[in-house]
Amino acid sequence: MSEIDPNKAPMSPEEQRAYQARQKQRAVIMAGLLMFMVVLFYLITIVKIGSSS
Amino acid sequence: MTIASHRIDGLASARDLFALTKPRVMSLVIFTALCGLLAAPGSIHPVIGFTAILAISLGAGASAALNQWYESDIDAVMKRTSQRPLPAGRMDRETALHFGIGLSVFSVLLMGVAVNWFSAAFLAFSIFFYAVVYTIWLKRSTPQNIVIGGAAGAFPPAIGWAAVTGDVTLMPVLLFSIIFFWTPPHFWALALFVNSDYSKAGVPMMPVVAGRRSTRHQIFGYSLVLAAVAVAPFVLGLAGAIYGGSAIVLSGIFCALAWQVARSTTSEPKDMAAEKRLFKFSILYLFALFAALVADRMILA
Repeated sequence: MSEIDPNKAPMSPEEQRAYQARQKQRAVIMAGLLMFMVVLFYLITIVKIGSSS
Repeated sequence: MTIASHRIDGLASARDLFALTKPRVMSLVIFTALCGLLAAPGSIHPVIGFTAILAISLGAGASAALNQWYESDIDAVMKRTSQRPLPAGRMDRETALHFGIGLSVFSVLLMGVAVNWFSAAFLAFSIFFYAVVYTIWLKRSTPQNIVIGGAAGAFPPAIGWAAVTGDVTLMPVLLFSIIFFWTPPHFWALALFVNSDYSKAGVPMMPVVAGRRSTRHQIFGYSLVLAAVAVAPFVLGLAGAIYGGSAIVLSGIFCALAWQVARSTTSEPKDMAAEKRLFKFSILYLFALFAALVADRMILA
C-alpha cells in the first residue's frame, strides 16, 4: 500500500480517465433507475386513485 | 495495492454494488415471495403486486449488503467468498454499510407507501432479523446458526401473502415453516461434501462442531419435521389435492434421500453420493412444492 494519501495526491491522466468512466457508468445507471421509479410511482398513483374512487 | 485502485475504490462500480445484493439468493426470494402472493386469498392489482415483489427483493438485497459489510473478515479467509467486493478490496466497508441501510429504508418505505404498512413492518423485521439477529448476534456463536438463518430466508412467502391480505394467518405461518425446516437438511447436506473453510473462519458449522454422524441424524430429523409441515396445509384443509398430492410425493422422496444420508458413514467428499443427491433434490423440492401450491390455488379456485 502506498504511503501517500491517494485521495490527496494529484491524479494522473490515466487515473482521471478511469475515475470519470466509472462516474459516468454510475450516473447512467442511476438515471435509468430514477426513470424506472418515476414510471413505477406514476402507475402506483393511478392504481391507488382508481381503487379509491 | 496501487494508488489508482485505491482512488477508484472510493467510487464502487455498479457491478460490485449489484454483487453486494447476492443476486443468486435473490432468485429464490423472488420465487417464494411471488408464490406467497399468488397463493393468498383475495386479489392484488398487478402493479401493486409487482411493487411488493420488488420491495421484498430490494429488502433481501439490503440484508445481503449488510451481511457482507459485517462479515468481510470471515469472507476474506474463505476461498468461496474471498472474491466478493469487500474482501477483494474493490469497495470500502462504509460504502457497503450506506448502501445496505439506504436500500433497507427505501424498500420498507416503498412497501408501506405502495402496498400496506403491515407488510412493510414485516419486511423491516425480516431485514433486522437477518442483519442483526443472525449475522451479528448468532452466526458466530451457535452451530444452530443455519437453522436461525433459515428463518430469515423463510419470511418472503409470508410477506408476499401479507402484501395481499394485510395480515398473517395459519397458512403463511406454514409457508414460513416449510422453508425454515427445509434449510438445515439443504445446507448441511452441502456442508458435508464441500469443504468451505468455516472452521478456519471461526464459524461454528454443524459438521465441524458436532461431527458428520450427528449432522446426518439431524438432517433426517429435520426432514421428518419438514414432511409433516409440508403436508399440513392439505391435512388442515388450507390447500387442495394438487398441493396435497405433490407434498406427499415430494416429501416422501425427500425423507427417503435423507434416510440414505443418515445411514451413510463415508468421510470422503467424493464418495458422498447420498448427500449430493439430497442437496440437488432439495432445490427441486422447494421450487416444485411452491409451484404446486400456486397451481393448486389457480386451478382449484
